[in-house]
Amino acid sequence: MIAAYGLSKFFPIRGALRSTISLKAVDDVGLKIQNEQVVGLVGESGSGKSTVGRCLIRLLNPTDGEILFDIPDSELVEYERARADVETKRVDAIADRFSLLRASSAELQSLRRLANIVFQDPYSSLNPRMRLADIISEPMLSTRFCSRAEAAIRSRELLREVGLPEFFEDRYPHELSGGQRQRVAIARAISTNPKLLILDEPTSALDVSVQAQILNLLRGLQEKHGISMLLITHNIAVVAYLAEYVYVMYAGKIMEWGEKQKVLRDPQHPYTKALMSSVPVIGETMTRTILRGDPPNLVNPPIACRFHPRCPVAFDVCGWTAEEVAEDLEYLLGGKYYGTFGDGVRVTTEGERTLTIQGTADAQRIRELAGLENQEVRSLKSVQAIDVSDGATVLRLYEPVEPEMYPTPDGRQVKCLLFRPEVSAPAADS
Amino acid sequence: METIKEEKGRFDEWKLSARVFFANRTAVAGLVIFLLFVGDAIIVEVAPGLVGVQYPDSVVPPLFSITHPECVNQAPEPPSFDHPFGTTEYGVPGEGCLDVLQLVMKAIRIDLAISLFVVLVGAAVGTVIGVVSAYIGRLLDEAMMRITDVFFSVPFLILALALSFVLGRTVLNMAYALIIIWWPLYARYGRSLTLSTKEATYIEAAKAAGSGRLKIMFKHIFPNVVPPVLVQISLDVGTVVGIFATLAFIGVIPNALVPELGALANIGLNLAPLGYWWTVIVPGGTITLFSLAVNLMGDGLRDVIDPRRRS
Repeated sequence: MIAAYGLSKFFPIRGALRSTISLKAVDDVGLKIQNEQVVGLVGESGSGKSTVGRCLIRLLNPTDGEILFDIPDSELVEYERARADVETKRVDAIADRFSLLRASSAELQSLRRLANIVFQDPYSSLNPRMRLADIISEPMLSTRFCSRAEAAIRSRELLREVGLPEFFEDRYPHELSGGQRQRVAIARAISTNPKLLILDEPTSALDVSVQAQILNLLRGLQEKHGISMLLITHNIAVVAYLAEYVYVMYAGKIMEWGEKQKVLRDPQHPYTKALMSSVPVIGETMTRTILRGDPPNLVNPPIACRFHPRCPVAFDVCGWTAEEVAEDLEYLLGGKYYGTFGDGVRVTTEGERTLTIQGTADAQRIRELAGLENQEVRSLKSVQAIDVSDGATVLRLYEPVEPEMYPTPDGRQVKCLLFRPEVSAPAADS
Repeated sequence: METIKEEKGRFDEWKLSARVFFANRTAVAGLVIFLLFVGDAIIVEVAPGLVGVQYPDSVVPPLFSITHPECVNQAPEPPSFDHPFGTTEYGVPGEGCLDVLQLVMKAIRIDLAISLFVVLVGAAVGTVIGVVSAYIGRLLDEAMMRITDVFFSVPFLILALALSFVLGRTVLNMAYALIIIWWPLYARYGRSLTLSTKEATYIEAAKAAGSGRLKIMFKHIFPNVVPPVLVQISLDVGTVVGIFATLAFIGVIPNALVPELGALANIGLNLAPLGYWWTVIVPGGTITLFSLAVNLMGDGLRDVIDPRRRS
């Protein structure tokens, strides 16, 4: 149905001195939705879920990547093969026919008919000065789906289909409750019989009692019309109810994806594990994995794995930089180990891979410190060697490795070096 | 079927708007006073003789002191049955026998016309510029806003004075000067309304629905920008009367024959200290009454245009 490869969206930062500074909201995201399939996209606020959804239907123009829309499965298989074999000509030939990014304005117009979106906030997604009939008719008229008279008839049918009385057509949005408004937004989104629906947190602005009704409505519409859906949410329960496949996003990257049952019941990626452990279960004591720190600043995201600064099982090559290690070391030397090393020590960095502790030449005790603390302070795992030179201790770090999507035996994809096939995964606590 | 009919009746736009407006008593009072002013202006325009007004465009007929020698050296008369608001004089002190009520009736026509002209033209020009520059954004927006900054950087009365002197001190040129001062206000207002409307999700929904930029501007932006601007217009009509009268009062129009509320107050300026208070209070009070009425009416309109305050 729709497939995205290497999708990236960088927002330039206004007022930045150098125009190269940008917020990397979505970085190298791959995503696929089959015909009549509901795919969930979960992640915390600011992880770029909504940006992905908006890029997919060209409400935002991606900075980089490729989106193929309304593509038959056979062509998609062929495209992926050609892409893997770097057959540029073949890739181009397929992309020319199905790429949304190369679409002409006429093709974009037909995209508007074939794909639509339901937004999170039904209070601001409906124009307060338009009657419901006009709101629902807008996509039909703008895409020349049907005539004005037909649109009027169809908007009444749609109102009934989403469970609202027909005479609501003359009402204004402010006369409706949140759930009713969301029904109107859904009616508008399905008015042109789209094949793909992006649902951007369709229930998170609603009362809990109404959420279930909306979910049931969506499920009913999906079964009746066979619409493919991308369900963007941070509510795991919503995904569990509607989706078949789940993608987990963190800081602009997909961390793990696979069948819903597998990802939700038995998460593999350390981030997914932490995410799932935050879901409360009735009648059980929660064993939460509490992540330290905040989601990263996406202007200067962590290198290699974006999750490594908060990862409870991060290890040597996860992407530690000298700066990150220096920060943790300074904290330890100035606090817990103040009695051992005293006032004179100062940590400086030289480039990405080397740092120097001025004021002590006692490499042995630094080594002991690193050995003792690297369970708690994961950045110390990245120290490859500790030497003495010129009366200072020099630490050299491992070269980071950029994680890719690694398949697991049970058929899902995980972007974590723990699942790198060639290296036997180091035990989490080695 | 019965319920559907009821629904249709309930959502008759005009009826609903009228009901909301008339529920607000002070707004109705404002409307009544405003309509009295408008009625006066229309009568003086169409049939001045009906209310005994002669020479509606002039304070006094030509060669007044020669044709009316009885008025020379008369003190202004206090309010009486013949002259409900008393009389005032024109020109040399002592020539009192102009009926203040008649003068005010003439003046209302001119003030109302000027004020509506200034506000409507200023609002139309300013709003269109504001909406378009905010919607297109970037360099155009930046340029337009710096231009409005230029206008805002000079105190508006000083700017009005300067412009009237540059354009020539006539009534019409003063109106032009006020338009030049007024449009940046509406440009800013229209721009800020557009910027907030532009960010609303329903604009994004319209894009997802395939609506083009022009369609979005006319179907979504303008309908959300125009009603608040209309309220602002109704409020500004009163303000402009005040400012126009101020300029006339300080003598920007050299032709003192123009019946204008500020100019009338100016005639009485020398008389009021001598005890002839009505010569100033009546024109001044008329300005105040008009501003007040228009403000009350504008507040009522604000309720009407906001669909959320209706239910």
